Formats: sequence, structure tokens, C-alpha cells
Amino acid sequence: MIQFDQVSKHYAGGHEALSQLSFTVPTGEMAFVTGHSGAGKSTLLKLLGVIERPSHGTISVGGQNLAKVRGRGIPKLRQRIGMVFQNHRLLMDRTVFANVELPLTIAGIARQERGRRVRAALEKVGLLSYERQLPATLSTGEQQRVGIARAIVGRPSLLIADEPTGNLDPQLALEIMGLFAEFQQVGTTVLIASHDLPLIKRMRKRVVVLDHGRLVADLAAEEVL
Amino acid sequence: MDAASHPRNEPSRTRSVSSWREHHGWSAADSLRRLAARPFGSLLTIAVMGLALALPLAFCLLLGNVQQMGRALGQDQAINVFLQPDQGESQVQLLAKQVGDRSDVAAVTVKTPQQGLDELAKLQGFSGALDALEQNPLPYVLMVQPKPGLDAPTVERLVGDLRDLRSVAQVQDSGSWRQRLDALLGVGDRVVLALALMLAVAALLVVGNTVRVDIASRSEEIGVLLLVGASGAFVRRPYLYAGIWYGLFSGILAALLALAIEFALSGPVAQLSQAYDGKLHISGLPLWLLLATPVAAAVLGWLGARLVSAWQLRKAA
Ligand SMILES: Nc1ncnc2c1ncn2[C@@H]1O[C@H](COP(=O)(O)OP(=O)(O)O)[C@@H](O)[C@H]1O
Ligand SMILES: [Mg+2]
Repeated sequence: MIQFDQVSKHYAGGHEALSQLSFTVPTGEMAFVTGHSGAGKSTLLKLLGVIERPSHGTISVGGQNLAKVRGRGIPKLRQRIGMVFQNHRLLMDRTVFANVELPLTIAGIARQERGRRVRAALEKVGLLSYERQLPATLSTGEQQRVGIARAIVGRPSLLIADEPTGNLDPQLALEIMGLFAEFQQVGTTVLIASHDLPLIKRMRKRVVVLDHGRLVADLAAEEVL
Repeated sequence: MDAASHPRNEPSRTRSVSSWREHHGWSAADSLRRLAARPFGSLLTIAVMGLALALPLAFCLLLGNVQQMGRALGQDQAINVFLQPDQGESQVQLLAKQVGDRSDVAAVTVKTPQQGLDELAKLQGFSGALDALEQNPLPYVLMVQPKPGLDAPTVERLVGDLRDLRSVAQVQDSGSWRQRLDALLGVGDRVVLALALMLAVAALLVVGNTVRVDIASRSEEIGVLLLVGASGAFVRRPYLYAGIWYGLFSGILAALLALAIEFALSGPVAQLSQAYDGKLHISGLPLWLLLATPVAAAVLGWLGARLVSAWQLRKAA
């Protein structure tokens, strides 16, 4: 469960990126965060990954107050959150396999188990045959799928994605969103920031709408037309 | 769910240890590959560091040899003890035996007045003057050879004791130069130590800067690692190994350079040795020092990388 309670974020010198934001995402739900550019979507996700800290308010993930996550607790928390980025952020000098393997190596999983899990993750995103290739030899959509495989390989209970389809054509974008929906179906909480309203509408999931850092609408899946 | 309450990634302890060891192995190999991938830059760093470390070794070598020469030459230096003119042969022999029995004395040779006169006669320009003498004005002289390897204060004490003997008129202490040499060598020891410390710091800075540039050029990768949950130690590991490699190779280079200097010195020292009846030998650097240099340098490299990476990753986090 994700819980935002009266959360505000001021960047140094900037205006308020988030303002008294309160909402809850129950375990196993898939939700979109949307809003125009600069609305605060990325900031919201960064707070969940403890990449940024809130100026006010409390955020908890799975009952854990993020304000209390410090030092060595931060990498431990991030190992339990799968993160997907708009520009995939793969390591271009390592193979697809090595990229997906990274979170498992970091978590100290034994080699055999790693191999098994990496292949399972690559299979899920349909890229098993690409494991020995370098990311640069893949298309943008494929690279994004490698990024998703890396995010889910550690079996996180929370998956967050910031504009994961930003660079993709509508058909590929829909496929990627379909992948996220599949992870939700196996019990993962999924939170996706996107400004692609037509795409969001097609997914029929809950939508949280931000405007200038304020929550202006919170639509349940059945309210999305 | 939940992220916090169901840590699905928690590995068992044995798994964790073996994969931890595996990552060390990977980091060591990967950092070596990266060093080899840009040979020019790596060699430059290793060369600068190696030269910095070779300098104190060279000084150490020089100092060791001067010390050894000083000792070898010092053995030639007898203390000349001039006795009162009224001493008779038997008294002199008794005194010589007394002095010779001392624990700090190796040998005592008695030079009779006649022997002294003969020596003088051999010196050019004296023979005529000596003929004019009615009787031999020279006293008995004891040539006292201190035990080899005594330090300056001990020899000083011996000289003092000899001077205090009643039948002694004068002691010609040839040891003062040795004292000066010892003092000089003492300064030399300090200089080597200070130099070694300074250059170790220089080596530390060289490694640190190289690693700093390395980290800066890979900030993108480091950012990704941190985002997928890598700890500081995990991120730092390859850079620490890079520091160790830089140190190790530069230490080996320094030891080789020192050996080359030793080799270059051995010729001239051999020549010098002939002039001193083969008493001089080049005293090489001890094996332990040559072996310890790469190890110490590796530790320095690790330390430099450790300091810089801790500082730089704090900025990145
Ligand atoms: N690191 C930062 N420093 C200062 N201001 C920032 C920073 N990141 C984002 N902002 C500002 O915060 C606001 C929200 O940004 P962001 O969360 O990236 O919005 P979105 O992802 O919805 O486009 C914007 O006005 C942006 O300029
Ligand atoms: Mg954004």
C-alpha cells in the first residue's frame, strides 16, 4: 500500500512541485498519475524511490514510513521497488542479460538462481533471444522492455514507471501498458506516471490527476471513459 | 503487499556470501579490463606513481651504502694513544694488555719510538732533520682498534677512558669524522622517512585523482546502480579494485626501478671496493622491502580510491 499524507515538495529555489497531496493506492492496484508537463508526476515517483525527500507530510510504502528510511535502508528499499524510466537507463556496455541481472547481483542472489530468474523475466517481456546482445542493437521499444524486465526481475511488490511509453509509437505503447497490467494481475502494485491521456483511457485503471502539484481529480477505474 | 513486510529478495546467508565473493571477483576482473581498455592513461598513472615510490627506495639504497662504507672505512681507523715519554717497555706492554682486554677493543698494537722514527724517516724531507737529533723524542704509541660495529658514543667513551689513563699523554681520536658521518646518516634516515611520507601522499593523490576522473566519467552508470538498489559498497567496489591495481603495478615498477639503480651502482662500488682491499660490497635493498613495496603501494591505491569514492558517491547519492 502506498500512502501520501499531506505531502508537499519544494525544490530549492523553485516553487512548490507538490502541494498537500493526499491519496492512497491499495496493495495490488494499478493506478496512473497524469497531468500536464511540470504537474509533479516525476517528483511524486521520486519521493517513492527516496530519490527526493518531501518537504512536508508523510509517505509510507507497505506500512513503512519513508522518512525513517536512511543510510543503508535506502538501497534495501529500492531493491523492493521496481523502477522503469522514460529513457530506459540501461547500461549500454553490458549485455541485455547483464542489465536484467543487475538487481539480482546487487541483492546477492546466487548465480544459478539469477540465470533462471533473468530468463524468466526476459521471456515475460518477449526478449529471451536477445540476452547476449548489447542494448544499442535493440529498438527503442525493445530497450524499454529490457528496462521493464530489469524492474520486475527482483519480484518487487511495487512497480513504478515514469513515462514508460514516452518514446514509443501508440501500438508499442499499448503493448508495454499491457505488460504492466499483467504484473498487476499477479499481485504487484503498479503506479505509472504518464501524460498520454488516450492511452490511459484505454487501460481503464484508476487515474490520479495532478495540476501544478495539486490533486485535482481521482477517478476510479469504472469512472474512466 | 508489501515492499517492507515481504522482502522477497532476501537471500539466504550462504548464497549471499558466495555471490558477494563472486562480485569481488567480478569487480577485480572488470576494473582490470577497464585499466587495459585505456592503456595510455593507466600507464601514465602507474608511471607517475611508480616514480614517486621509487625515489625513497633509491634514497634508502644510497643511504644503506653510505652507511656500509662508513662502517667499512671505520674499521681502518685506529685510535692513536700517545704515552708519556717516561714509560718503559715493560710498563707499555702491561698497559697494552690492559687496554687489549677491554670488551670494546679488538686489538692493540704497540708502536715503539724506533718504529715511529723509522716511519718518519720514510716521509720525504724528514730524514735530514732526524739525523740532527741526539736522542729519539718520540713516545710509545698504542694503536687501539675498537671492536667493529661500535656506535659513535661507545667509541667516544673508549676514547675518554683512554685519555683518563695516567700514563697517557694524548689521544688522537680519528673517530670524530665517524661521528659526523653517523650524525649525517641519522639526518639521512629522517630525510628518507620524510621523503617516503611525502611521496606516499603524492601517490595517494595520483590514484585519488585518477579514480575521481574515472568515477566522474561513469556517473551515469553509478546513478543507475544506485536506482536499482546498489549499496555504496557495491558501487565503490570496482573503483577500489582499480586503486589496488594501480598501486600494485606502480609498486612493482618502483621495485624494478630500485633494482635497476642498484645494478647501475654496483659497477662503481666494485671499483671503489678495489681501492679498499675489497672490503666494500654494494648493499642492496633487502628483499622484504622490495616485496613490501608493491603491497604497501596497493594499500595506498586502495586508500586513495576509498577516500575519493566515498566523497564522490556522497555527492551522487
Ligand atoms: N530537481 C529539480 N529542481 C528544481 N525544480 C524541479 C526539479 N525537478 C522538478 N522541478 C520542478 O518541479 C515541478 C514538477 O516537475 P516534475 O515532477 O518533473 O513534473 P512532471 O514530471 O509532471 O513533468 C516543475 O515545475 C519542475 O520545474
Ligand atoms: Mg516527468
